[in-house]
Amino acid sequence: MLTRPLKGYQSILWQIVFACFFMLMLNITFQYIPYNSNVAFLQIKQSEVLAIPNYLFFFYLHVYTAIFCLLAGFTQFNAFILKHFKKTHTYTGRLYVLVVLVAAAPSGFFIGCYANGGFYAKCAFLLLATLWFFYTLKALIEIKNGRVASHKKFMLRSFALTASALTLRLWKVILVYLFQPAPMDVYQIVAWLGWVPNILIIEFYLYKKQFNE
Amino acid sequence: MNKIVTFLILCVLISCKKESAETIIPIDPNLKLYGNWVGDFEVSKTDTATSNQEDYVYSYKINLVLKKIVSDKVYGYSIVAGHKLPLLGVMKYEDGTAHFIVKEPLSHKQTGKYDFVLAQDSLKGTWHAFDSKAKVLEREFILLKQKFKYNPNAMLPREQSYVDYSSSKIDSIKEVVDGVEETYYDEMFRSASAAILHLNASTMILKEKDLKNLKKLDLEIIRNTIFARHGYTFKKKSFRQFFDPVDWYIPIKENVSGDLTRIEQQNIVLINRFQKYAEDHYDSFGR
Repeated sequence: MLTRPLKGYQSILWQIVFACFFMLMLNITFQYIPYNSNVAFLQIKQSEVLAIPNYLFFFYLHVYTAIFCLLAGFTQFNAFILKHFKKTHTYTGRLYVLVVLVAAAPSGFFIGCYANGGFYAKCAFLLLATLWFFYTLKALIEIKNGRVASHKKFMLRSFALTASALTLRLWKVILVYLFQPAPMDVYQIVAWLGWVPNILIIEFYLYKKQFNE
Repeated sequence: MNKIVTFLILCVLISCKKESAETIIPIDPNLKLYGNWVGDFEVSKTDTATSNQEDYVYSYKINLVLKKIVSDKVYGYSIVAGHKLPLLGVMKYEDGTAHFIVKEPLSHKQTGKYDFVLAQDSLKGTWHAFDSKAKVLEREFILLKQKFKYNPNAMLPREQSYVDYSSSKIDSIKEVVDGVEETYYDEMFRSASAAILHLNASTMILKEKDLKNLKKLDLEIIRNTIFARHGYTFKKKSFRQFFDPVDWYIPIKENVSGDLTRIEQQNIVLINRFQKYAEDHYDSFGR
């Protein structure tokens, strides 16, 4: 299905589904506007807010910037835009790379150090932030050197991790609906379930594609 | 001279002593009756024509407080299910046993008349509703005298089960049997975790990490255990179900906010924050 940029009904379906999730994420971001040190998720993070210098700075840097990464989901895999609006692809791509490398991934790493759910959940978030940074940087280097095929591969990996923002929260809703586990038990599970399957799917797709070419 | 002064002082002291001994009030013969009389308040007669089991609460914990008995007049109050009502009535001796008839004020809803005797060390009797159309017409009780003392170390007993039977989520399952569609209903009840048995919000300052893995029901129980220790009478059935069966729990007050210790106040703020987070975010799309 993904051996080429999305076309036709696939593209429309993707745009609709992604737009729904994007709205949900926008909704979450709006919970943090105006700025408040004790709202939503921060209600259970007051130990960190009060004790860790810069925790709030990095938290808000993450919340306010990461939402822009998701814009790439609308433009970067669309066949029509890739063909007719090359400039759109370039500019959205630059915004994506800038946001991930300068703000979202480093701030994600910082707040990941103080994540809920104990040692294993922290490992998951730190690994996620590191891989996200690495894949995105690699994709940038590849396109600067004109290696389009390799650029595509690394951007797919990078975006699979970006999409963990959606899949993590989706898994949480599913697990809570089915099993009503204790909050931090869910958290430890989704810390891994949020992004590992995403990256496995992309790796499997790239592996298959290798033989198709 | 010295001797005379000493003699005079002694005389004064002795006369003082005599005087104070004379002013002692005679001991109230009913003193041992005063205090909290606590027990179950169980339904014994209902209006069968209009009510079914769902309409009323079968058992409450009642605290019948006897305050003062002057000649045959009885003063006190009843504390049941979040309501404290004044009691007024009479006590008579019949065949050597004390017989009481006391009434709740007519001005309130669902009030009635208590009719009981002192049998050995318990108060035994019935309550009759004033309103003859009330769903519950009569309740029975056997009450034992219990002294209330705030004990910050009191915890919920391990033996009890902490499942919220007062509210449930109903899942419907549809099945087609021989071409006829049938719907089954499966009731889901929330149950509390073991944390409620060892987290004491009256003696230790709780930290975020203590509460992070708790669900809403756990948080509610831990907070309400503070109030139960102070003798708060719960208006909500969902909390009474956990505290009414507990031996140390005696409802004595409608409002305990003035009695809370600094540790308790601090913990309540923290628990409320976590409860709000659990309500808003536990099952929604988000963290």
